[in-house]
Parts: sequence; C-alpha cells; structure tokens
Amino acid sequence: MRILLAEDEKELSNALVAILKHNNYSVDAVYNGADALDYGLSENYDVIILDIMMPKINGLEVLMKLREKGIHTPILMLTAKAEIEDRIIGLDMGADDYLSKPFAMGELLARVRAMTRRKSEFTPNIIELGNINLNKENYELSNEKSSLRLSNKEFQMLEMLMNNPKRLISTEQFMERIWGYDAEAEIGVIWVYISYLRKKLESLDANVKIKAVRGVGYTLEEVR
Amino acid sequence: MQQAKYDIECETLLPEHEFYKESFVLLEGVIIEIISRLDFIRKYKITQNHKDPIEHCKARIESAESMKEKLRRRNMPVTVESTIMEIYDAADICVLCTFLEDIYWLVNMLKKQQDFQVIEEKDYIRNPKPNGYRSYHMILQVPLHLGDRIQKVYCALQIRTMAMDCWASLEHQLKYKKIIPDQETITGELKRCADDIASTDLNFQTIWDMIKDIQ
Repeated sequence: MRILLAEDEKELSNALVAILKHNNYSVDAVYNGADALDYGLSENYDVIILDIMMPKINGLEVLMKLREKGIHTPILMLTAKAEIEDRIIGLDMGADDYLSKPFAMGELLARVRAMTRRKSEFTPNIIELGNINLNKENYELSNEKSSLRLSNKEFQMLEMLMNNPKRLISTEQFMERIWGYDAEAEIGVIWVYISYLRKKLESLDANVKIKAVRGVGYTLEEVR
Repeated sequence: MQQAKYDIECETLLPEHEFYKESFVLLEGVIIEIISRLDFIRKYKITQNHKDPIEHCKARIESAESMKEKLRRRNMPVTVESTIMEIYDAADICVLCTFLEDIYWLVNMLKKQQDFQVIEEKDYIRNPKPNGYRSYHMILQVPLHLGDRIQKVYCALQIRTMAMDCWASLEHQLKYKKIIPDQETITGELKRCADDIASTDLNFQTIWDMIKDIQ
C-alpha cells in the first residue's frame, strides 16, 4: 500500500513516516500543497493524508483540485482542533475522513486501515456522459451552453440510465425502483417520462439517446 | 381583427411627438405592418386546419426619455435621424407563442418573407443568457410604402412562449429593485426558475406531440 503524506511540520512528518513504514506502508512525504497536488495527480497512491494548513496551496484547495481532476483516491484530512468549519468543507468537497490534531498514532493507523477497506470510492455529484452532465445535488441537466431542471422522477430515471449506459433497463425496473410496488400509477407513465427525457436531451443537442427495445425496456446509447 | 390578441403601446404624449416628430408614424407603421402580416398568416394557417401558433402580441415604441438616454450612452447625436437610421429597437414587438415549435415555425416564416430583411438574429433559447433568460431575438428591416418613396424601418422582435414571458416580466421587475440582500441567492433562484420553466415548456411540447400522434 502506498501512502502520500503531506505535512509541513518536519518533525511530525518524520515521526509519521517512521511509524507508517514500520507498519509496512510505502510512504512519500511532501511538505507543501503544491507538491501534494503534483504527487496526488499521479494517482499512484492508495491513501492521501493531507494537512490543511500548508504553505503554497492549502490542503482544502489541494483536495478540491484533485477531485475536480477526477482523482478519487481516499483522502484523510488532518485538522487543528478548532477548525470545525474546515472539516465540514473538507468532507463535503470529497474528503473521506478527518483526524484532529493532536492524535494518537494508533487511531491514525486504524483510520488508514478503515479507509483502504472501503470498496466504494468517492462518487462525484455530477454524472457525465457524452456531452451531457447530470447534477445529483440539484437535478440540473446541462450541456456547455444551457441547463434544465428535471423533476424528481425524471431525474431518477435518467440517473439510472446514465449510471448504466448501454444496459437494458426494463419498464418494470423503473416502475419498482421509482414509483414503488404499490404505486397507483399505470405502466404507461414510464413512456411519458421517457418522452419528456428524450425531448430534453434533444433540446440540449445531446449525443446520447434513449433507445427503446420493444416490449422490454430502454437503453441509453451514445450517438455519433 | 381580434383586438385582444394585440397590445400596441405607443405613447402619444407631447414629449414623444416632440422628439420623434413625423418619424413616430414610421415606427407605428412598422409595428402595424409586421403585426398585420403575422395576423394574416396566422388566420390562413388556421383555415388549413392547423393550430393557432400565436397567443398574443405586445408592441411598444420606446419612450422619448429612454431613447435620448440610449443615444447619449452610445455617444450618438440625440436626434430622431440617428434613431431611425442607427437604433434597431425603437419599435419593438414581443410575440408570445403557445409551444416551442411555434417559435421556430414563426422564425422560419419571417425569414421567408421576401420584403422583410433579417438584420440580426439570436437564439437565446438554445443559448440562454447566464441569468437564464430565454427568447428568440430578431431585428427586421421592413419597407414602408410612402406616397412618393419607400422608407426602410427597423423593428426588434422577441419571440417566446408564455412561460418564458412570465419569467422575463418578473425578472424585469426585480431588476429595478436596487437594494436586495442576498443578491447571489436571488440570482441563483431566478436562474433555477428559468431552468424549471424551460423544462416545463419541453413537457408541454412533449404532451402536445403525443396528442398530435393520437389524432
């Protein structure tokens, strides 16, 4: 397991490196935010430990830039005890965990173990497919020039389609997942919502298209 | 003529007549010319068993006050001549359509009118402004036949759905309320409303398409 450690206090850094190595991790230590970003972008690490107060670029900015570039490596933030706001911002920006200073070495090691156990990587709030983005936070469907706001059910249907491109999703699956088993809605409602979504994708000049497989269901395909 | 379909708002007050002089009639003329063309084509379309594409038209001539202000801002001579020759939107028509498809039908139809010249067009529906504003904008140059000559006059057109118009009217009113706390939140919320409305317009169009298919 490879760990990137970004911590500007030399003494603390040296101690951490020694202990992590002792626990069979390979560790690269950097001492400022700019280096942390460069090393982090290489995607060579299983975990990144990121101090927030660092010279050149602060830890939160490094975190934001890494997530923007699509780097999903698990990140543990080191924060000062008083910096609750930093923890909230950090976690919301895609950090996986935090530890406030001063901390016990045992706890740091346990958190690193826990993070590497977690299979699911950080999933971004925006699903991209072709020239289209779907924002999971505000249900916005957009291209470069324009955006539309989807209704709750439209969003859920398109989310299923965009998370599973080219995979067939049956009318019943939509019905069960979104409307629920005991919904009074008729099955025809699925076709109506598919029509809404098709019209919206078309209006945004999307290069993805919902195709119907007669009597079975729908797939989302890229068109060229 | 169904009066209710057209609102023509021309200030016939003293300041307007003093500023525009005989050109006021030209601006009124270009509005009447375009609206009567729209009205005729609309009625003919209905006789062909088509749906009426136009809900309503609003027209206005810019007040003398704000026209003078506009000329000053652009460092142009504050005269009626520069207004008629250089300003595209002294006369302004807003056409409200039922469905999105009607807007594009109307745009194509206007482009095909042999005597009208399209000077400018901007599709703010496919390319909305950052605040969320949507409309199709066109500047037309229309020949007016006078007793002894032809005078070409500009007119600005904004073509949009009723839903888009609802948003534009409200946003316009809020823009003039100078002191608003949380400006950013308000702007963001207005943008969200615009994107909501655009989504609803597409749903209306989808439903209309379904009804047409069934018929």
